Amino acid sequence: MPEIQWTNDLDTGIPVIDKQHRRLVEYINQLDHARTHHSRDEVNSVLDQLVDYTLSHFAFEESLMEDAGYPFLNAHKRVHALFVKRIADYQQRFKVGEDIGAELQVSLTTWLLNHIKNDDDDYADDVKRALGGATEETGGWVARSIKKFFG
Amino acid sequence: MAYLDWKDELNTGIRVIDGQHRRIVDYINQLHDIAQGNGGTGTVEVLTALVDYTLSHFAFEESLLEEAGYPQHASHVRTHDAFRNRIFDFRERARQGENVAEPLLELLKDWLFEHIAHEDARYVPLVSAQMGRLEQRDQGGWMRSQLKRWFP
Repeated sequence: MPEIQWTNDLDTGIPVIDKQHRRLVEYINQLDHARTHHSRDEVNSVLDQLVDYTLSHFAFEESLMEDAGYPFLNAHKRVHALFVKRIADYQQRFKVGEDIGAELQVSLTTWLLNHIKNDDDDYADDVKRALGGATEETGGWVARSIKKFFG
Repeated sequence: MAYLDWKDELNTGIRVIDGQHRRIVDYINQLHDIAQGNGGTGTVEVLTALVDYTLSHFAFEESLLEEAGYPQHASHVRTHDAFRNRIFDFRERARQGENVAEPLLELLKDWLFEHIAHEDARYVPLVSAQMGRLEQRDQGGWMRSQLKRWFP
């Protein structure tokens, strides 16, 4: 599977979210690199980081949606939970020695891109309105939340 | 012309759901193109993506129905479950190397539009109203924009 190239249709227009999505894409590309270079240790380490970062990102995003009063919050959270379970399963299979590389890559890539383009795009207007232009640099709340969820 | 063309009457009016339905249609068309084009190479990949996406969509929709207190929630979930099992079975057969494209496409084509037009359509009034109430409670502006949209 080719490396994911960031395209404009992946931007939600919320800088703090776009930055996190780009980071997720970087992890997936790193995973691809590790896999094609047959480095199990590296795959293992990138996978751990990816899972960790994904959990923080979801928690952050869910908190933004909640604050914005996004009506589909719970349904969106359910999709996140399903995805978390899916990568945890892959991680488990990888750790017991199964060769999941290519399938994992397809699964992560397609899930993330689809999710960003449709489901995340759907909350963007509500969240933008709620943030009122606040960013990581200017909005105390945004900076505090990043600290809370990403440590 | 695509194998499966989206029809406007299939829109539920719930934007996020319509987007998900359309994406599933895209995957079905992609699966059809692959089956036509090169004898099915790449079918497993697209099928994996289609299955993953469908599961996400079902999870989203089921959560929505539950939250809205939709009385037919349980039977809607059972319909999804039956479909889930059928596509899992196809995925497994494709993984074993069987060319499942034709029966799979037939199932998808018949099932999806039928399900959207009949079963999904039934939950729309309740879910739209429920989501509208939530949004209105939080912002107040949603109802105005909806009213403007439907009664310009």
